[in-house]
Amino acid sequence: MKKKYSGIEKKLSRWGWTFVTPALLFFSLFSFYPIVNAAYTSLFRKKILSLKPPTFIGLKNYAYLLRSDDFWNSIRATFAFTLGAFLPLLVVSLLLAVLILSVKRGQKFLQLAYYAPAVLSSVVAAVIWMSIFDPRGLGNQWLNFLLNTPGTDHKWLADSFMVQLSTILVYFWKYIGYFVVIFIAGLAAIPGSLYEAALIDGADRWQSFWRITFPLLKPTVVLVSVMAMLQCLKTFSTQYLFVQSGSPQAPINVITLNIYNTGIRDHMIGRSSAMSIILFIIMLFFTWLQFKTTKADEVSY
Amino acid sequence: MKKTLPIILSLLIFSLPLMAGGAQEEQGPMTLTVWTHEDPNRTAIEERYISEFEATHPDVTIERVTNSSQKMPELLLTAFAANEGPHIFNTQIEDAYAYIVNGRVGAVDPPSAGYKSVKALKDAYVEGVLDAVTMDVEVYGLPLELTNWAPYINKRVIRAAGLDPDRDYPRTWEDIVAVSEKIILRDGEIITRRGFDFRYPYYLVSMVPMVEQLGGQLISDDGKTAIVGDEAWLKFLRFMADWGPFGKNLGSPTYTNARKLFDADNNDMAMAMSGLYQEGRIRADNPEFYESGDWMVIPFPQFKDAVREAACAYYGHFYMVNSQKSEREQKASWEFVSYMLSHPEEYLTEVGLIQPTRALMASKTFSDMPYAQVFADDMARGSMVYYGENSAKIQELIKEAVEGVMLGGIEPEKALASLKVKAQEVLDQE
Repeated sequence: MKKKYSGIEKKLSRWGWTFVTPALLFFSLFSFYPIVNAAYTSLFRKKILSLKPPTFIGLKNYAYLLRSDDFWNSIRATFAFTLGAFLPLLVVSLLLAVLILSVKRGQKFLQLAYYAPAVLSSVVAAVIWMSIFDPRGLGNQWLNFLLNTPGTDHKWLADSFMVQLSTILVYFWKYIGYFVVIFIAGLAAIPGSLYEAALIDGADRWQSFWRITFPLLKPTVVLVSVMAMLQCLKTFSTQYLFVQSGSPQAPINVITLNIYNTGIRDHMIGRSSAMSIILFIIMLFFTWLQFKTTKADEVSY
Repeated sequence: MKKTLPIILSLLIFSLPLMAGGAQEEQGPMTLTVWTHEDPNRTAIEERYISEFEATHPDVTIERVTNSSQKMPELLLTAFAANEGPHIFNTQIEDAYAYIVNGRVGAVDPPSAGYKSVKALKDAYVEGVLDAVTMDVEVYGLPLELTNWAPYINKRVIRAAGLDPDRDYPRTWEDIVAVSEKIILRDGEIITRRGFDFRYPYYLVSMVPMVEQLGGQLISDDGKTAIVGDEAWLKFLRFMADWGPFGKNLGSPTYTNARKLFDADNNDMAMAMSGLYQEGRIRADNPEFYESGDWMVIPFPQFKDAVREAACAYYGHFYMVNSQKSEREQKASWEFVSYMLSHPEEYLTEVGLIQPTRALMASKTFSDMPYAQVFADDMARGSMVYYGENSAKIQELIKEAVEGVMLGGIEPEKALASLKVKAQEVLDQE
């Protein structure tokens, strides 16, 4: 049976729609439409420059990708990067946030300092790090000093393991501040009275962290972990700029880079759309999995 | 409201393509857009050509837009994919070829371009240079530049290594290795002064000719087989493995680009591969070094046991005209392109670009450019870089093979086997 709305509810509902419409319009235009369009295009053999109508090939683009070593290498590269960047980002940003909140002076300065790389453009960040990773750059000098291995070239941009590590380092440096700021906001929202009560009950700082801070910070942890994971799965600019600067492509050929090369360089827009839909499904699955396993909403103060 | 809003949004979204702009009127004033890559020296002269052309064609306005050369292919592609490409654009032939085969660019209109016929147009240029933009007898682009590379030598560094640059300059790839071994300085494994290094991202331009010298081919004559001549490819891959950090450690793709270091004359780069345009850059970056005469250009080296002579491949940027514009606009576009290109000597002296017309190549202006003859002779021994819809992918596969043996320690035999399979798959997909 259809629910009847009273006058005030109708009015509120109308205002609700008024406020939501711009966001819906924006989402429909820039997110939903491209997803639907990509899903549709992925069913065709379509060259981006061709004026001929695309040929409908059903799921053949997907079948090709699932047989392609190149695509599986991209899956591997994406997951290697995500695991390498996502876990340290999550753990270190939480630790840094706790550390920053525990210092008496200079909290704002530390937040600003950690956040600064996030506002740098990826191109500038890559240029800075390319000079560090140059065989004659600071990367080799620092590591050789620390390891006492003078004159060793650690091949930051050449060796297949090192180039993956280099992209993770750049990404970690660039985004750590962003997640630190989110954690600080989450930590600040926990009521101070809980810590006072724990102190009266004789709890030490370690116990306070594990028994109060961590459980109550769960929604923020889930938010950061989902955001960090999605960001890592979508990583593109660092790998793109490294390859442009001479690094081998295969070790860091993440899915987004493969999508770009297939669509823009090789002009196969149907196949690259299929890749982007697979990436979309992967991201959707892991987001669902994280929400499912963490049950983020089961927290109350 | 709940139902109507999604319907309105959907209608809005799906009606977007209908809002795209159409062609201009067949009469009255028109605006031609030109997209080209950044080059300050060229901008200066082309802005002047625009003013001159607009003065003689009051109904035409020309909007010249520059973008970075790296971004251009992507911008053009997305613009054309949305059927919103500019009237005139230039891009390198490896990228431009796809525009021709997909009918995105119009054929040169000889009368508008100032020629009586297609034959007269072809006769005005050096033989073969328009082949890359010729299809079914029609010509689809006019060359803004045609470039090949040869090694530039810093005589000071050669002398510092106890060699006589005029007598000891390398003629063969084996000489390049021997001279580099005498020049190179290292701090442990890290090279601090290189004798020579390759231009790594450009495998099709400078490395495929090395394979051709040994008798190999990128694509067979019938166009059906990729990577022909295993022995030639293997010898080339072994040479590159030997060059890299796991071999003689003479250079690597991850060091700073050799050409960039060369101009500074900081005693860290003796030889670098570049085009005639590099002379203008040395003059601008380091006038003292340019005027000193302590640099020279030598022919592209050959292997000692080369079975055929091959110099660096030449590549080109061609001006092209969007076929989706009206006939009137296309004709005006060709007229303007041809007006710009009627100043080849100014392009050469002011920008360092070679527009390969017979008249320019025979001119005193060309022969007066230092070492211009070295480039002209190499061009005669070379061929156009491999171009096709798959050229970028093929280049990536060669990169993978070369860098695999140089940096990844992969055996040349294994790298070759993988390259053959992958390149053939790409070729078969066309």
